[in-house]
Amino acid sequence: MIVVKDLVRQFKSGDRTIKPVNGVSFELEKGSLASIVGKSGSGKSTLLSLLGALDKPTSGDVVVDGVSLAGLPDGKLTEYRRRDIGFVFQQFNLIPNLSAVDNVMLPMEFAGVRKAARLQRAKELLEQVQLDPEKHSRRTNRLSGGEQQRVAIARALANEPKLILADEPTGNLDEQTGEHIIELLSSLSRDHNTTILVVTHDRSLAQKTERCFRLQQGRLTEEVRTGSRR
Amino acid sequence: MSVLARSVGNAFRNKIRTAAVVAVLAVAIGLALSMLVANQAVGAKVQELNASVGTTLTVNPAGGQGFEGGGEPLTTAEAETAASVANVTSVVGTKALRLQTATTDSTTGTGQQTGPGGGFGPGGQQASVSTNLTAAVDAGTLGNRNNTSGTTGTTGTQPARTLPITATGIGAEVDSTGKALDITSGTGLGDYTTSEAKALVGTSLAEKNSLTVGSTFTIQDKTFTVAGIFDAGTTFGNNAVYVTLPEAQTLAETPDELSTMIVTVNSMENVDSTKTAVQAALGTDKADVTQGQRNLETAVSSLDSVKNISLIAFIAALATAGIIILLIMVMLVRERRREIGVLKAIGARNRTIGLQFVLESLVLVALGSVVGAVIASLASGGIASALISSNTTTTAATTTQRGGGLAGAMPNGAVPGGGMPGGGQGGPFGGASQLLTSVTASVSPGVLAAGIAAVFAVAIIGALVPALLTARIRPIEVLRGE
Repeated sequence: MIVVKDLVRQFKSGDRTIKPVNGVSFELEKGSLASIVGKSGSGKSTLLSLLGALDKPTSGDVVVDGVSLAGLPDGKLTEYRRRDIGFVFQQFNLIPNLSAVDNVMLPMEFAGVRKAARLQRAKELLEQVQLDPEKHSRRTNRLSGGEQQRVAIARALANEPKLILADEPTGNLDEQTGEHIIELLSSLSRDHNTTILVVTHDRSLAQKTERCFRLQQGRLTEEVRTGSRR
Repeated sequence: MSVLARSVGNAFRNKIRTAAVVAVLAVAIGLALSMLVANQAVGAKVQELNASVGTTLTVNPAGGQGFEGGGEPLTTAEAETAASVANVTSVVGTKALRLQTATTDSTTGTGQQTGPGGGFGPGGQQASVSTNLTAAVDAGTLGNRNNTSGTTGTTGTQPARTLPITATGIGAEVDSTGKALDITSGTGLGDYTTSEAKALVGTSLAEKNSLTVGSTFTIQDKTFTVAGIFDAGTTFGNNAVYVTLPEAQTLAETPDELSTMIVTVNSMENVDSTKTAVQAALGTDKADVTQGQRNLETAVSSLDSVKNISLIAFIAALATAGIIILLIMVMLVRERRREIGVLKAIGARNRTIGLQFVLESLVLVALGSVVGAVIASLASGGIASALISSNTTTTAATTTQRGGGLAGAMPNGAVPGGGMPGGGQGGPFGGASQLLTSVTASVSPGVLAAGIAAVFAVAIIGALVPALLTARIRPIEVLRGE
């Protein structure tokens, strides 16, 4: 269970104080698939970075399975990212000179998983995201955008995280590939009971999630949905 | 894929850049190793020179050296006086004799050499002590001239002469210059302070007379046993016999007299002051004190400056390699900020990322070291020679001038007690400049390993700064760039 309590992040810009995240509170049940929509510059990515412990809030707290992130030292936050969080980026952010399987193995290497075990799991995950086995050993900079995003999702799943944070995961993909990716995330949420939070400005993508939040001027409101995906 | 494998892979990401970096590093490392090799070679030479002549003083009777000149002989009492001077660690007395072959006929000129007081040495050296040995050196033109009194320049027919053999009584197992004897077979004489009928024979003299260890020969009808055979390194030096000092004094019938004294000083720094003190203690009218080290001082000084230059150049080249690594790694860290952010976002520790960059730099340094070692093995000899020759142009001129002057004062090969190395090589001191060019710079595995270890240490220091920079990169920057 993810609990976000009155989260605030503010920056100084000259004399002005900017609050891209201003008193955001919400809860996500384990295994839910949710989305946050909003215009560019509305603070979506900032909120995501606070949830993923990439940034520290000015005030407020994020509690993951009863553990508060506020006040955790950097080392513990790194451990939290490694163990509990999986990131999927719009630009994929794979290591270009490594193969698909090596990219997926990276988080497991950082977690201290033995080589044989991480190789086997990486292959399983790549099969799960339906990457052609012939491309497992191919360098990621030689894969298509959709294939790279599949590798990125497999990498996010590597350490069986509690929460997957996807920042515009379909932003660089064509519509059809984007739909495949969101279906994939949806099935992962179902099959692995993993909580997935997708940040997007694509309303059609947001429509496919269980819960949809709107971020506007740093404040979050939940849209009432008529049906469930499940 | 491990951190090491990832680092190796990263090092070859951009092959052209890697080749360029390795080439630049190889030049810097090659230069550093060459300088280290030169430094070691010159250092060894300096040590060798210092060890051979650096701290010894030679004392001769005032006005006489070896079998030349006049004056009063040195005495064992004066040796004790010299030994009591501050900073003197030992005094070794020598007594030089001329052995004349017993079968020599009347044409050998013995008539000129015998007689009261003798014509060949200070203090009335025993001019003709007979022996059954035959000299290993033929008289030749020089021998005939040197043994003919008052006939220098005579072009008429001279009778063939037999050269005398130099016998020296020594108070320790050193030659007449104070250097340890190189005994190639047999043993030394044991106690050099007692009279004993044993002798050390030079290699060529032993060969000429078919002597081996245990063989016997006679001096003044007394039978001596060959205890050992030594190699002095020169033809003149090997035409000689060493006996204990008391034995030589007995043979010369001058029990308390010494031909020379070899005074050893405790350190090079004290040589000058001790020389003055010994001279004062013995009196200028009694003894001439000369400093063997003086003769090679210029040479050693030049080598010292070459050593210093090579050390500075080694450090500079090492620092250059370190700076190259530093700049390259800073560039790579800046270039891969996003990637570092991603690694942190997916849970990499700062030390893991830092280690990855340090290892990557070490891969580059390892490649540079291999090429650099090849460069060093090819260039170190030339670089050492260039360094030495550029530093000895003026020195050699000075040394040659000095050596030439002294050579004129002391004929070659006629100064057995003079203690001047280089005799018989175009002047006793003419060898100084040759010593400078006799430095051999060879790449030994030990020096190479030490140099490469230093390069790696500097590379680690150079790579640590950019590695620490990675810790300052915040993963949020990755998302901000989205």
